[in-house]
Amino acid sequence: MQHLTEQEIVLHHYHDDESPAAVAEHLLACDVCRAEYNSIRNVLALVDEMPMPERSNAYGEQVWSRLRWKLGNQRNRMRSWRTAAAAAAVLAIAFFAGALWHARNGGQAILPLQQQTTAGQARLPVLQQEKPQDRILLVVVTDHLGNSERMLTDVANADARHGINLGDDQKRAVELVALNRIYQQSAVQHGDDRLASLLADLEPVLLEIAHSDGTLSPAEAVALQKRIDSKGLLFKVRVMTAQKGNSV
Amino acid sequence: MELIDAATVTRARAGDPDAFRLLVERHSKPIFRLAYRMTGNEHDADDVVQETFLRAYRQMARFEERANFGTWVHRIAVNCALDLLRSRGRIERHTGGDPEEAEMTAASSDPQQDRLLLSAELRDQVAAAMERLSGNERTAFVLRHFEGMPVEEIGKILGIQVNAAKHTIFRAVRKLREALEPFARSSACNI
Repeated sequence: MQHLTEQEIVLHHYHDDESPAAVAEHLLACDVCRAEYNSIRNVLALVDEMPMPERSNAYGEQVWSRLRWKLGNQRNRMRSWRTAAAAAAVLAIAFFAGALWHARNGGQAILPLQQQTTAGQARLPVLQQEKPQDRILLVVVTDHLGNSERMLTDVANADARHGINLGDDQKRAVELVALNRIYQQSAVQHGDDRLASLLADLEPVLLEIAHSDGTLSPAEAVALQKRIDSKGLLFKVRVMTAQKGNSV
Repeated sequence: MELIDAATVTRARAGDPDAFRLLVERHSKPIFRLAYRMTGNEHDADDVVQETFLRAYRQMARFEERANFGTWVHRIAVNCALDLLRSRGRIERHTGGDPEEAEMTAASSDPQQDRLLLSAELRDQVAAAMERLSGNERTAFVLRHFEGMPVEEIGKILGIQVNAAKHTIFRAVRKLREALEPFARSSACNI
């Protein structure tokens, strides 16, 4: 009688064999194979004794309480992201509407506030067009700073020892870089040097995240965290976000 | 569980956070057990549980309500654990030293250790034997032995053919047997 192989017996144990009836019949008839089968079963019964750390009945609640913060953060991020995109669209429309109005009214340059007030009533429409634009810019910049702050916080607080999985943050960083440049130019044009300088400091960090392949190695993660930390970037962004937020 | 889940899943898909909370609370412990068996590390298992529910939340719209939520979320957990093992380089790599040395260690055990059956020390031996499995062997074994997952699905998850999946499970059992057979002799589980 030809004995079963060890692999055939293991397959039979897990019901993965192709001829289970034949194997079962053989096991009943063959003492050697039956002993082998029992030996394997006994070992696998021991494996069932594998230690398992205890988790209390409150474990699910603990998981949820940790998760809730992350999910809330994600929901807020999605909401503010949609707000930023909508505001950017409004800003673009307002910009082109202003340019069109400007072209139709003789191509007069938009003057600083003091010059316009001394230039008389004829220039008032220019001022009225400019104010909502500034306000929209303020709203979208505040939102942009808020989004950037959340991203920097995530990176700064991540455990860098095992690298950082950026997930969707990498894609968001790509869009943040593009918006960052637009807002930086606008800040320069409006003479807001502090904001322009902060956005200039922010860009290389966002670029680094945007140019990653979605993950940062431990070395890259540590380097990026140091970069954020050394410039006090997160603190500056928080302060600026609060200041701009108060002005909205 | 399935019927309760179905109604809760419908609410969760509609954006009800309380419903998702219920699903998290209901499935966290089984997911932890799976994650711990796959990773062999308590802290990693907790991380896998968190990541699993984060991914589940993001993918909730893709979940087909006719499917079993438990099965679906277990599948996500398996992928999370595999990602973690891959990031640590533990897939397709032996983690626990020389198998021959392990065999010698097991063979030279004192016969009196039979008395340690079901003791803490024996459980440590089981944990050590599991550690000696490669990432693929451990994953395939855990999914077949503890989760009862069909070999076809294990093959898909590991990206290998069905026969290769069967062979991977067999290699895992053989290694466990080499390490644990001396301790199993006194236990009676015979047909």
